Amino acid sequence: MSTPPLATNARESTQHVVATVFRDEWGRIVAALIHRTGDWDLAEECAQDAFTQALAHWPSDGVPPRPGAWLMTVARNRAIDRLRHGSVRAAKLRQIAALAPSGATGPDEEAGVTDQLFPSEDSAVPDERLRLIFTCCHPAMGMEARVALTLRTLAGLTTAEIARAFLVPETTMSKRLVRAKQKIAHAGIPYRVPPVSALPQRTSGVLAVLYLLFNEGYSASAGTELVRKSLCDDAVMLAGVLTKLMPEEPEVKGLLALMMFHRSRQAARVDEQGDLVTLDAQDRAQWDQAAIEQAKQVLDEAWAKNNPGPYQLQAAIAGCHALAPQAEVTDWPRIAKLYDQLLEMTGSPVVELNRAVAVAMADGPAVGLALVNELEASGALQNYYLLAATRADLLRRLGQRAEAAAAYREALALVATGPEQRFLAARLAEVTR
Amino acid sequence: MVDVRQTATTPDLDHEMGQTWQHDASLTAWLEETIPSGVNLQGSRLRPSSDATTVRSRQGELIVTDGPFAETKEQVAGYDVLECPDMDEAVRWASKHPTLLAGAIEVRPLLDSPPPMPLPEQKEGTLRYMMLVCLGEDFQMSPQDQSEIGLGTDAWVKEMDGRGARVFGSRIEGPDRARTVRRNGTDLLVTDGPFAETKEQVAGFDVLECTDLDEALEVAANHPMAKFGLLELRPFWRPEEP
Repeated sequence: MSTPPLATNARESTQHVVATVFRDEWGRIVAALIHRTGDWDLAEECAQDAFTQALAHWPSDGVPPRPGAWLMTVARNRAIDRLRHGSVRAAKLRQIAALAPSGATGPDEEAGVTDQLFPSEDSAVPDERLRLIFTCCHPAMGMEARVALTLRTLAGLTTAEIARAFLVPETTMSKRLVRAKQKIAHAGIPYRVPPVSALPQRTSGVLAVLYLLFNEGYSASAGTELVRKSLCDDAVMLAGVLTKLMPEEPEVKGLLALMMFHRSRQAARVDEQGDLVTLDAQDRAQWDQAAIEQAKQVLDEAWAKNNPGPYQLQAAIAGCHALAPQAEVTDWPRIAKLYDQLLEMTGSPVVELNRAVAVAMADGPAVGLALVNELEASGALQNYYLLAATRADLLRRLGQRAEAAAAYREALALVATGPEQRFLAARLAEVTR
Repeated sequence: MVDVRQTATTPDLDHEMGQTWQHDASLTAWLEETIPSGVNLQGSRLRPSSDATTVRSRQGELIVTDGPFAETKEQVAGYDVLECPDMDEAVRWASKHPTLLAGAIEVRPLLDSPPPMPLPEQKEGTLRYMMLVCLGEDFQMSPQDQSEIGLGTDAWVKEMDGRGARVFGSRIEGPDRARTVRRNGTDLLVTDGPFAETKEQVAGFDVLECTDLDEALEVAANHPMAKFGLLELRPFWRPEEP
């Protein structure tokens, strides 16, 4: 029983429904069509056609009870149509027959082949998105290509939108997408979920792409394109989809929780001038408590697997901050312990620096300073302004103003103009008063 | 009889230009001159470097990157294995290749046996890849390394031949034994040395036959040189493709 057509706002409210359905179904439809036809461009075009049809018919016919299935049917019929009327029909049908899932024999009967290719029941449309996301994120492709392809096929951004999000001309992005698909076809990148042996490495590859997407959006300064800032939402959406498709993998949940914790602070992060507000100075009343609660639940589910990983640890650290009602009651000793684990796992000097900061908060600036000096001596973070800035901050807290000033100057030499520069300049002024 | 290898190198050709090359009458003419006479044992055009994938293994971790082993202006576009009495003869054949209109040809002697003739038919449902084994110029090999690599490579060849994943391959002489042929108008220029002075140089090659890139990556990762050098996987240009 479908919704009766609405009188005045039919088109608008339908558009709203279509937009929601689009977000939920685009990737699913594209993934299924790529699986069945092996043709990425055809898949995108037929998916697009289906949504156009929805916008054309739903205002008058009403929104169908199972919108996803309706769209999938329209999209696949379109694909069959185009394949039937394509120029290299015979060869294409042989190719399709080769791709048909259930051992189809002989491409002679067109109808027979396409029926086997597209089973008639609408209800059981398997979710092929896992294949798609692993293929998009294959390490044989450059990072830029992986990101662009993921956004196009799984999040349904248009080429123009992706171009704006990454601040490049549309023609550049268009070429990037074309090249990526060509590489997949010509280099023989298989369209599948990797075998179990390769899964851990390939999964962290996928998570790296999603986290990069998130950070692109998260670090977008005020006044940039909305589509760039909404990359956060795309990343969170995709990570959410991945948790459903890979429920046994705790790192996926870890990443989702991490992103959700970060995003919960969105409203408090930036002041009127567009400068970043540090964690300790943020107005915690502006933090999204519902999002924090959700993130905590996701993280708890991950921890329950008893298989910690870098994203889970980072999420736990973010969680410590998110769950402290005031900065003063932050559980720094716990954070320091989490950084210990993270450092052991990754060996990253940036993690080592963050750990020193946490230790300084837990055990006092002198202890933290000793760790920072060790890190400095190792030469691992040369020209990394945060190393000098951290040292400066600790020296300042210890009352060693002259040394602090020298360190602030060092940090300023490494940083361009902008919010960081303003912040450090202000601190330098403080210690040289 | 000296077996030499000819590497056709051209500026990275666009898709459209590649189409022109495929149907170029002069290329057909060159092939007609060299194949029936037994000079040209085997060869193929390769996909452009944008379709290449490079793999190496460092500290037990497999690193896969998009692109060729070196970002040079000129990129390998194809290869032929020639059988000639000496280098001069090979250079003479190279000088007639139409690639010289747009690029260069590097000629280097093979160190190992020539390909089986005829080459086995490509298996249904597989892709062929050129695997370039590349090593840093300044690479210092201890006698122990040399032995490890030697034995490891023999074992790798045996395994991959047995699996049908390797069609044939060979080490090639070092860049100091290379000769590069170019054309400047009507003038022929033959210089000593490789076509590009890259940090890494090709030390050998293998033609792989695999179901997909993942299998090719696995085969390449198992090669002992993956630990010391770089392996580039370049798909063959399939005749039915535009």
